[in-house]
Amino acid sequence: MTLAQRTRLVNPRLGTYFGIFMSAFAALALLSLIFEGLGAPGAALRWLMFAGPLILYAVIGVAAFTRDPIDYFAAGRRVPAFYSGLVLSQTAMGATGLLALAGAFFVIGFDALCLVIGGLAGFVVMAVMLAPFLRKFGAFTIASYLGRRFDSRILRIFAATLLAVPVLLMLAAELRMGAFAASWLVPLSPLVITAVLVAVLVVSLGAGGMRSLTWSATAQSLASLIALLVPVTIVAVLVTGLPLPQLSSGPVLRLLGRAEAAQGLPLILPPALAFDMPGEGLSPIAKRYSDALGSVGPAAFVLMMLSTMAGIAGSPWLLPRVATTPGVYEARKSLGWATFLFGIAMLTLAAGAIFMRDYVMDIVKAPGPTNIPEWFNQLTALQVAAIDTEGQHLGVTSFSLRRDAVLMILAIAGGLPSAVLHVAAAGAVAAALAAAGAATVALGNLLAEDVVYGLSWEPAPAGMRVAIARTALVAAAVLGGVIAHSAPTDPLRLMLWSLALTGSTAFPILVLSVWWKRINAFGATAGLVVGFSVAVLAILGREAGWIELDSALAGALGIPAGLLATIAVTLLTPPPSRHALELVRELRVAGGEVLYDREVRLQHRRGRHLD
Amino acid sequence: MIERKERKPYWRHTKWQMLASLLPFLAVIVVLPLYADTLNANRFLGFPLGYFLSLHGIVFIAVITVATFVNRQDAIDHWHGAHEDL
Repeated sequence: MTLAQRTRLVNPRLGTYFGIFMSAFAALALLSLIFEGLGAPGAALRWLMFAGPLILYAVIGVAAFTRDPIDYFAAGRRVPAFYSGLVLSQTAMGATGLLALAGAFFVIGFDALCLVIGGLAGFVVMAVMLAPFLRKFGAFTIASYLGRRFDSRILRIFAATLLAVPVLLMLAAELRMGAFAASWLVPLSPLVITAVLVAVLVVSLGAGGMRSLTWSATAQSLASLIALLVPVTIVAVLVTGLPLPQLSSGPVLRLLGRAEAAQGLPLILPPALAFDMPGEGLSPIAKRYSDALGSVGPAAFVLMMLSTMAGIAGSPWLLPRVATTPGVYEARKSLGWATFLFGIAMLTLAAGAIFMRDYVMDIVKAPGPTNIPEWFNQLTALQVAAIDTEGQHLGVTSFSLRRDAVLMILAIAGGLPSAVLHVAAAGAVAAALAAAGAATVALGNLLAEDVVYGLSWEPAPAGMRVAIARTALVAAAVLGGVIAHSAPTDPLRLMLWSLALTGSTAFPILVLSVWWKRINAFGATAGLVVGFSVAVLAILGREAGWIELDSALAGALGIPAGLLATIAVTLLTPPPSRHALELVRELRVAGGEVLYDREVRLQHRRGRHLD
Repeated sequence: MIERKERKPYWRHTKWQMLASLLPFLAVIVVLPLYADTLNANRFLGFPLGYFLSLHGIVFIAVITVATFVNRQDAIDHWHGAHEDL
């Protein structure tokens, strides 16, 4: 009986709808494969793979049009656990994760694990410490949650403005990465592609906010999972004969390890805080694949992992998704799915990098003079690979690949039909849209709910409220596009800064707001401001050359600073009011009414009494 | 709806569950990669063991951790009458 009631609100045709989307996507890919075989012009097929899925996402987004605030801000609180988890995992990964991490695994092997383990642990921590309680509270943004939880408008506005910064960085990173992925499909300038992506975001998300985001991002997440799984699985079949790259890459790695030793790739013993992530652009293989902690020092590895964990767990563009699940139990379960699917993605990324290294190693491993294969010349022509012919003879480190192109290069090196390459690129565009969409909606809602209406507890009338949120969403998307275009920074770097800032700003106070009754508004405000300032100073200090610590590790200073400031200021100021204590006691219990809805209703009633 | 006097034992139970889920997991992800090089001397399924455990092992542990947490926390909710009665 409980089960039937739990799933009461869920649309029973969801599976059918997304089955139709998957068929349409697969049909596009297969049609493109057939026409390629029949000799159709490549440009037309690439346009098809670029525009076709974008139209599908836009249609899904527009079809989810709504005027109702609960639909606009929380997708009607009826998104089943699996769909939430799928979107969470792919949004956290995004195009930056998909493309840059595949490249990072290729260049530094084992050491890239600090980022993916951090993301995975972020979901575990979110599941256990934050998600169920935020779902019980039911606020639409992190800033609204903090404001209501501590009954402080100052905190609400501060949280919204400070958290807007990492969200904006993330949005810019995803748009830049999306533009790079799309440049594999259509010969447009980055500016035009960014404008097209922003337009797709505005059209598809403006219609229904979180509701549109949920359903279009579900389609995008499916596409991005396919983009990752299909090329790597086909290559796995070609290389090992087994369609299970995550496990069958083992024997390949074994032979690769021997070849790497024969090539004399160095064993590096880095300083403890070294953090040598490959930058955007061409990189040769830096170290042996399975050799641990060569490019990233041991201390930096652990700090980066914990800082990414805090960043993902407290991220203002992932956490509002929790409010869309039908209940607290479903919220926990959705994080289980997110952990599982994120795990699959990270295993596949690592396997893809192993196969890519194997292909490069094959060039130099053959005895006699080195023959540069046809596919490598093709890549050099595309300017995503280069050969360094300075030395006496060609070694494996003479070959550089562009970090963000490794997933696409894998499809070319494996000699796969270009339809597979286009699926990979289209999936990366989809991942970029899913992550950029989450950031856009989060940013728009922060601006509309917590900045414009931040000083009043009473939300605007429904129509007005949604209209303002739509306007803010458009502004957020355009702002993201402008920043993505005008600040040409490495997207991976932007993502790491964004995670460091979220971890420092939001994570300590979010965790303490649930697990420490004594925390009060003063402490939370202090923690928010101190964590943010320390992280920003650490990033700027590194860029200006004042400190040695890599700017990606800013969270290692910001998170403890935020935590200490929260605790110290809380203990120096009076304990929270009885109302706040009662609220946190209720927040901790899974059952019962959604607190945010009740608070708003009570506010409304009180307001009417005053009139 | 949960009874008032059940709140304290419920929260104590929940706290212990949180610690039991997170502490072993965090210990593993912090310690394991640091010893990966030593473990790499052994092999499993062709993978160097340290790499295999740091990637596949941690994914496995994470999924098991969340799955048991969801299951156990739901049992705790029901035991104390704190579950959702939608």
